[in-house]
Amino acid sequence: MKSFDMPVGPLHLSLEEPMYFRIDVEGEEVAGIEITAGHVHRGIEYLTAKRNIYQNLALIERVCSLCSNSHPQAYCMGLEKIAGIEVPERAQYLRVIADEIKRAASNMFNVAILAHIVGFESLFMHVMEAREIMQDTKETVFGNRMDLAANVIGGVKFDIAEDRIAYVIAQLNKLEPILVKEIIPLYETNSSILSRTRGVGLINRDQCIDYGLMGPVARGSGYAYDVRTAAPYAVYDRLDVEVITYPDGDVWSRAMVRLKEVVEAIRLMRLCLRELPEGPLTAGPLPFIPAGEAITKVEAPRGELIYYLKTDGTDIPARVKWRVPTYMNWDALEVMMVGGRISDIPLIVNSIDPCISCTER
Amino acid sequence: MAFLKILFDNLREGPATEAFPFGEAATPDAYRGKVTFDETNCVGCNMCEHVCAGGAIRFSEKEDGLHFLIWHNTCISCGLCAHYCPTKAIKLSNDWHLSHLQEEKYEQVDHAVVPYRHCTSCGERLQPGGPMLHQLAFKGTNPRSQRLMNMCPDCRRKASYSGEAL
Repeated sequence: MKSFDMPVGPLHLSLEEPMYFRIDVEGEEVAGIEITAGHVHRGIEYLTAKRNIYQNLALIERVCSLCSNSHPQAYCMGLEKIAGIEVPERAQYLRVIADEIKRAASNMFNVAILAHIVGFESLFMHVMEAREIMQDTKETVFGNRMDLAANVIGGVKFDIAEDRIAYVIAQLNKLEPILVKEIIPLYETNSSILSRTRGVGLINRDQCIDYGLMGPVARGSGYAYDVRTAAPYAVYDRLDVEVITYPDGDVWSRAMVRLKEVVEAIRLMRLCLRELPEGPLTAGPLPFIPAGEAITKVEAPRGELIYYLKTDGTDIPARVKWRVPTYMNWDALEVMMVGGRISDIPLIVNSIDPCISCTER
Repeated sequence: MAFLKILFDNLREGPATEAFPFGEAATPDAYRGKVTFDETNCVGCNMCEHVCAGGAIRFSEKEDGLHFLIWHNTCISCGLCAHYCPTKAIKLSNDWHLSHLQEEKYEQVDHAVVPYRHCTSCGERLQPGGPMLHQLAFKGTNPRSQRLMNMCPDCRRKASYSGEAL
């Protein structure tokens, strides 16, 4: 059989973001893969040390648009840890709502792209239209469709008053039946989806642990790790989060984990809106941040996001460093792709929900 | 086959997109759009300039007052200025109609002058914002504090000491 090297990327029709693979191909089969990173490096970690802690809130939010709430949340948690700031309870609940609404929209986006890659354009549009319900909700509650700007140091800067609670619940009531009665059954039974995604891009539980995989990719292989239950932050310890796992470790399982997590996110949002206590939104207007270090982690839509912060007593951080889940998930592509077909490459790449803008900041 | 029902429902419901620009696009009240500035409420603390992530806000001290400048094309609508403004002089409106011609790109600026106050006794220049700061700090004013708050620290001390402000 004839073997040759095939470059995919950095700009490629079938990829949503700039990634560069050299794929070793034997006939129709992938024999090896080499990943080159760094095409969208913008030096954001360096920039954080050039701006004050308030300006960084907006900068860090713009690292990535899909996990744009997880980044500032982890950053604020770090500063609050260093300064010993107690975040008011109402703000903690509101943070969970912001987190879950982003998770719902992000997961639906990825699953929609799966349908697009399979070639099922009408399903892609249908999922995106359902996702639009969440986008409208974000625009109404937070003022923007992607960058919520929800977090400030010591609390949140948005509020959900009584009339808004009714609105958000009405929006959730609109989304849930579409998701549970139409979208999930389609992904479970439609033959076009199943024939392209079942048994493709396999990775097992042990390999997930070896590669340090996180988020829906690991949970799709039966590895039930979720920061929200493993190291609960905000008020996740009171919410009894259900960790969704699927055993098979293929593209389909990862998509199903994401879809079921949207259902779970809707449940968590409802719960938070019901339990939302009265009280202040922030711990105080201007915090003093002493010199110190902190490590925090949150569950971003793609998995565990870790922040390391070092301050020196001024209001410009000495160092901000983060580790994103896509970094490990990306490396594991060599396990998922080798032995697969060339035509499945875009599907497998999409199944890790790669966020290159986070990874290469 | 299950999808045929969805297609049929979508056909029956008509387009899901908004008719903009031929119709109105719904804009929520809380939408973070163009920044508005009310110079009568500004106390000149410069916090908005300090937190502005893009560096869109600039304050400068001139003879006639504090000059406030916002470059709308540099603004990223993060809302930090509005959040940290103690007197809510700076706000984000829900106006998102910010498109303009290329040649107008340096004209997307709003400028305002926050006038200084002058000591009612000696006429020395004072930072703006007496009544607003009193409202924030003491939740109101009384006739005595109203007389005192527009004086410079020296005249205020003298007035308090001599009892003329009572």
